[in-house]
Amino acid sequence: MNEQQFEQYQNIPDSKFVFAQQDSNIHDKKFDTKAVSFARDSFRRFCKNKSSVVAAVILGIIILFAIFVPMFSTHNIDAVSPKEVFLEPKLFDTGTGFWDGTRKYTRIVYDSVNETPANFYKGAVLDLKLDEEPTLIDQALSYGSGGYVMFENQDVSGVEPATLSSDSFTVTDSGHYKADVQFGDEANIYNENIGEYRILLNVNGEQATLRDWSTDYSAGQFDLSQTLRTLGLDSASVRLQFELKATEGAYSYILLKSCLFTADEDVENTEELQTVGFTDATKMVLLSKDAFGVTPKGYWSGISKNNFRKGIYASEIYYCDFVFDTYANVYDSAEVTFARSEIDEFIRNGWCKYDESVGPESFEKLSDECPIDYVTSQVINTRTGKLQELTAMSPRYRQMGYKTMPKFIFGTDANGIDVFTQMFNGLRTSLVLGVCTFLFCFLFGLVWGAVSGYFGGWVDLSMERFTDILGGVPWIVVMTLCILHLGNNFFTFFLALCMTGWMGTAGITRTQFYRFKKQEHVLAARTLGASDWRLIFKHILPNSMGTIITSSVLMIPSVIYSEATLAYLNLGLKGTSSFGVMLSENQQYIQSHSYLIVIPSIVMALLMISFNLFGNGLRDAVNPTLKGSEG
Amino acid sequence: MWKYILKRIGLALITAFIILSLTFILIKMLPPQRMLTGKLGTRTAFYENEVRLGYLYSSAEKLTDDYVDKLTYEDGHTTYYYKTPVLQQYFSWIRNIVTRWDWGSSEVIMPNVDATVIIGERLWTSMKINIFSVIFSVPIGIALGIWAALKKGKMTDTIISTVVMVLISLPGFVLITFLMLLLCYNNAVLPTQWPNPTDPTGKKVLGYILPVFCLSLGSICGYCRFVRAELCEVMESEYLLLARTKGLTRRQAITRHALRNAMVPIFPSILSEFIGILGGSMILEQLYGIPGIGQLFVRSMNSQDYNVLFVDMAIFTTLGLLAGVLLDMSYGIIDPRIRMGAR
Repeated sequence: MNEQQFEQYQNIPDSKFVFAQQDSNIHDKKFDTKAVSFARDSFRRFCKNKSSVVAAVILGIIILFAIFVPMFSTHNIDAVSPKEVFLEPKLFDTGTGFWDGTRKYTRIVYDSVNETPANFYKGAVLDLKLDEEPTLIDQALSYGSGGYVMFENQDVSGVEPATLSSDSFTVTDSGHYKADVQFGDEANIYNENIGEYRILLNVNGEQATLRDWSTDYSAGQFDLSQTLRTLGLDSASVRLQFELKATEGAYSYILLKSCLFTADEDVENTEELQTVGFTDATKMVLLSKDAFGVTPKGYWSGISKNNFRKGIYASEIYYCDFVFDTYANVYDSAEVTFARSEIDEFIRNGWCKYDESVGPESFEKLSDECPIDYVTSQVINTRTGKLQELTAMSPRYRQMGYKTMPKFIFGTDANGIDVFTQMFNGLRTSLVLGVCTFLFCFLFGLVWGAVSGYFGGWVDLSMERFTDILGGVPWIVVMTLCILHLGNNFFTFFLALCMTGWMGTAGITRTQFYRFKKQEHVLAARTLGASDWRLIFKHILPNSMGTIITSSVLMIPSVIYSEATLAYLNLGLKGTSSFGVMLSENQQYIQSHSYLIVIPSIVMALLMISFNLFGNGLRDAVNPTLKGSEG
Repeated sequence: MWKYILKRIGLALITAFIILSLTFILIKMLPPQRMLTGKLGTRTAFYENEVRLGYLYSSAEKLTDDYVDKLTYEDGHTTYYYKTPVLQQYFSWIRNIVTRWDWGSSEVIMPNVDATVIIGERLWTSMKINIFSVIFSVPIGIALGIWAALKKGKMTDTIISTVVMVLISLPGFVLITFLMLLLCYNNAVLPTQWPNPTDPTGKKVLGYILPVFCLSLGSICGYCRFVRAELCEVMESEYLLLARTKGLTRRQAITRHALRNAMVPIFPSILSEFIGILGGSMILEQLYGIPGIGQLFVRSMNSQDYNVLFVDMAIFTTLGLLAGVLLDMSYGIIDPRIRMGAR
């Protein structure tokens, strides 16, 4: 205000003053702008908290899934499907390397006969990496080869010799029979007790020495026909035997690489000779008696059984690393026989063409609906001369009732049940339990807290003591007692959770009532004659409702958590599939099929984190003064 | 002050007594205990002990072992031993405890061994893990909390607060499962189960790592959040501003004024948590196979060994109440304002 204006305003004559509202009554005016309600204001504050909004969205998605997935899922979660067990999670196409239903295997024994890792379906093996060098193991596996026979004398008193004897074979005078024996050169395996041995030829019970006691492990060729002749025989049934001396205090052993029987000329029993001898130590050791105790041809036996042992040393096996497509393993094409009526129906539907007079080549696939890929053979009925049945390659999933190759985005469990559907089905049970418990506890706690807080005095005191006692019992004890008395079903859980759950709400309500009941607006209403009922529900409760709801809403995740915890303690819900029960049932597969645990755990953690973030955001929005008080 | 402490202890004792009485009556109201497994001699010995304690009564003078077998029905009750009425059992229980400190013996887990002896053996295992966990978690948790509070609103604070929030929200079994998968199964750094007493010392030490780590992680997050909240509140107070205006450096003001005041509510909570977690983590003990009282609880519940279950419940209840009393008392001792308020 400058000097001039100041002058001007200082000398205003009295007549110029007029009452502003001389004729009109003063009324409250409506706001020109639109009023912002409490809920709207809270919502606006909530939206500013980015993490809470994200949490709310995630929470919404999970809840929607829990409601709708069990409703619309095509996978039956009650029927066990033993063929489809442990399918890996699959979202992308096979070969993308991530979430594609494949499983990595490392160091699996390679089966060189079938050209596939041992006991794996060849058609499902991808990306096979075979070791360049064989691995030497002291174990006779049917996939191994080579190595040395380790013939051991286990008599540690050093008395009894042990004998390894070949199967008997005939030596005739028509050929010049020889035995080639090769020893292992790796003599120092785990001790220096290389045995002293001799090689004998057992001719009808008589023994002729081929090589006398020695520790010479050089290869040797022995003339069997010559030995026979020195005994005065031309032909006989013979056995080759290795006799091994025992040593004192330790096992003695020799290593045999091969033992080959040959004849110079073309003899009748060439085949027999080949079977009796051995070139592959692993195969020799693996030969075993059948179920009736009958030894196969070429079986080498020990004569003194007590101290005899025939083992393998340094057998060669190949390991391989590969990626295994679990879906191809289960759903790949296989030979299936189709009856004539089925083929007729396919042709009638226009799915394929087939001419039985031409044969399998005439098959022509016209539509993807047709389950046949190609025909391998046909059977014509000899009497009618018409087609009886077809053998054709067909994807196995068609036989299981799927139109296309199924995809289980979270895999399947030990019963072949879709984890995705089962998980959200379980989550629904848990959520229903949580919401029911929340509703009951909230209402009960509200009433309890309101009565206790509003009336105060001895009512409050006695009610508080009661809460003290009930609150002093650990929830696990309440739960256990309820389960023991009423069995573990949904209702018991609900009851037990309610018994301990309402005290939190009651406590907060009580505090809120203490805070508001002495305030002026309540006093004013009381002076005007408002009843207790009206004071509680009209004047106190609406003020404190926001705080009570937001601090009680976190009960839902805590109920889900409690239920899952109980399931882990083997006290979980029986008869109903809940989230925790499913998790605890799959706990045993943590090592072999970890996705069964990992995926539901992630969902559980996501749910908990979202609930907490959402709850905190809600609390801050409803009661801005508390903002950020808890990390 | 003494009056306050005595009042608190007295109230806790009364509460404990009422809870235990209710628990006892509820357990004794359960269908009769099974005794279908185990040797006959053990069975009769157990029944005779129950008779001595006044929970059962026998209808004849002396019974031979093989005879009991014929008298036992499928549901466990016998034509020879009968249950005394529950209230009578309750008074017998009080008498047994007051006069002989006899809590009954186990019937399935370790037949005819005193329940208190079994609990005593296992309590120590649970306590050992918890003591280690406290030793690790208290300094780390407090340090992290202080660090986050000093850097409030900056990157460090955001990262610490977020990690703490996530870890607190993670259910315990999820955390344990993941750690077991990662450290025990996939990489085989740690044993997959709690080591046996016969295992070498190296393995025993390794066996402690996972349980202690799992228990510590939760406590660390709890302390961190608590310390951060307390310290942030103190840092905004006027006396700290005064301290700075007096000419103290930031470091001096924080160590001499802020930290000391922030620690007031923190120490009682450490004390009470120490008592509280003596009970151990049931989930952890179950999943990792630790022979503690948490695992015992589940085992006795599943095998319906009610005497052991009852003593275990009593321990959990008492520990919980004790923690509450200790918390209230230490508040009263440390902070005079609260002591005044209580009078």
